[in-house]
Amino acid sequence: MNLKELIKSTTIADRILFFILILFSISGIVFIKEVLPKGRTVQIEVNGQPVYVLPLEKDRIVSVEGRIGRTVIEIKNHKVRLIESPCPNKLCIKQGWIDSGAIVCLPNRVVVTIGDYRDENPPLPPFNKDREIFDIDAITG
Amino acid sequence: MKKKSKDRFQISNLKSQIYIVFLLFTILCSLGIIFACTPQRDKILRKTKIMMDTIVTITVVSNSRGDANNAIDAAFSEIERLEQLTTFFSAQSEVSQINKNAGISEVKISPDIMDMLDKAMFVSKETDGAFDLTIGCVTALYDFHKKTMPSHDAIKKNLYLVNYKDLVINKNRSTAFLRKKGMLIDLGGVAKGYAVDKAVEALKKRGIKAGIVSVAGDIRVFGSKPEGKTWKMGIRNPRIKEDSLDDIMATIDLKDMAISTSGDYERYFMLNGKRYHHILSPNTGYPAEKCQSVTVVAKDAVFTDAFATGIFILGVEQGMKILEKMGFDGVIVDSKGKIHITPGIRGGIEFKRTY
Repeated sequence: MNLKELIKSTTIADRILFFILILFSISGIVFIKEVLPKGRTVQIEVNGQPVYVLPLEKDRIVSVEGRIGRTVIEIKNHKVRLIESPCPNKLCIKQGWIDSGAIVCLPNRVVVTIGDYRDENPPLPPFNKDREIFDIDAITG
Repeated sequence: MKKKSKDRFQISNLKSQIYIVFLLFTILCSLGIIFACTPQRDKILRKTKIMMDTIVTITVVSNSRGDANNAIDAAFSEIERLEQLTTFFSAQSEVSQINKNAGISEVKISPDIMDMLDKAMFVSKETDGAFDLTIGCVTALYDFHKKTMPSHDAIKKNLYLVNYKDLVINKNRSTAFLRKKGMLIDLGGVAKGYAVDKAVEALKKRGIKAGIVSVAGDIRVFGSKPEGKTWKMGIRNPRIKEDSLDDIMATIDLKDMAISTSGDYERYFMLNGKRYHHILSPNTGYPAEKCQSVTVVAKDAVFTDAFATGIFILGVEQGMKILEKMGFDGVIVDSKGKIHITPGIRGGIEFKRTY
């Protein structure tokens, strides 16, 4: 029995079933694309202007020129941190690795954001353990 | 005969093809409808930008990432627009125009600046002049970056220019006028709060049901979090080592409210063991010493912002009276570190550790 005969021997019901199966597999692909998280990105802003939009997947080190000097940003293992900053208090470096939320260096006008859209509360910049424990949404003062 | 049967077979084949295509179309449509109708869960999107010389964070709850993004961008542009009007640094801003024409002529102002000045004047009256926009000419003498103090004489000389009653606003002509030459208005005490209110308005206009706008310590929340929980605010501890990451003194649950804190730790320098911070008393021209931090909770961020500053200058006793009169809530940490709270806040506040 060759392929032509096989196709000829199918009934209408067979074909409907076949098409439904194809349809379900296509809709499955669409569904997975919708539900699973898309490739997350790291956005680096200087003075309010986006300078880089980089994939979180790829490890690398980039540097940007801010208002008072050079800030060096490291992306590694789906996390981001600042490793060099000209600011006086270095709060941005002390913040360490983040995998969501943002790191802000106000003196140098640099904002590093991981573009998240999530169920839980993304941490606030600058990051602090207290905020995680108490699940704080904003800080006054 | 044979040919006829073949024809019939072709016809039935064609029929089945049409049938299948029709069926396919129906299934596709119904699948599409199912996809469209599936309610997507509410999620949180948060974005941070540096604006108005500080950190601006907007948090939005929405079931669509696209809607959330658009609304946040709209709110950011609203804040940017207001920044252009109020900035001290650009000679073109309306505020600079008013200052430049002090003692000379009245200046035409936009509805937003009129609204800000009007509200600021209201707070000045209610705080008996403790909150005063015209403190600008004394503030300008201090340099908190270079950590320099102005001379006593310089402060004295400029202090006679400080009086909110010399700021004349005319609503009919939409103009503002500073009576004395050399007077400076500094909208720093209301602009951030006002921007918060306007940004919340912008989010709501785009159909956002819940979120937070925070410009530095001026915050306004609306709606509730995805699980129906209220938003939780942290109040900063006013005494913490300079280089450590900030610490939280207390947490407070808020629903459809604004909150602001004025503290002596935001911008300051130490000189001969004394703390010189940015909240200056319009009576003395020197930093106010009666409080370490004042937190105010009310409906509008423009009022929490301005009243927190005014009450910081007045101290606990008068501050509590004003909060009661206005129907606001608040937390005052006095100069000795003692905490005073209004009765209305008692249920919703939670202090940490040593507090």
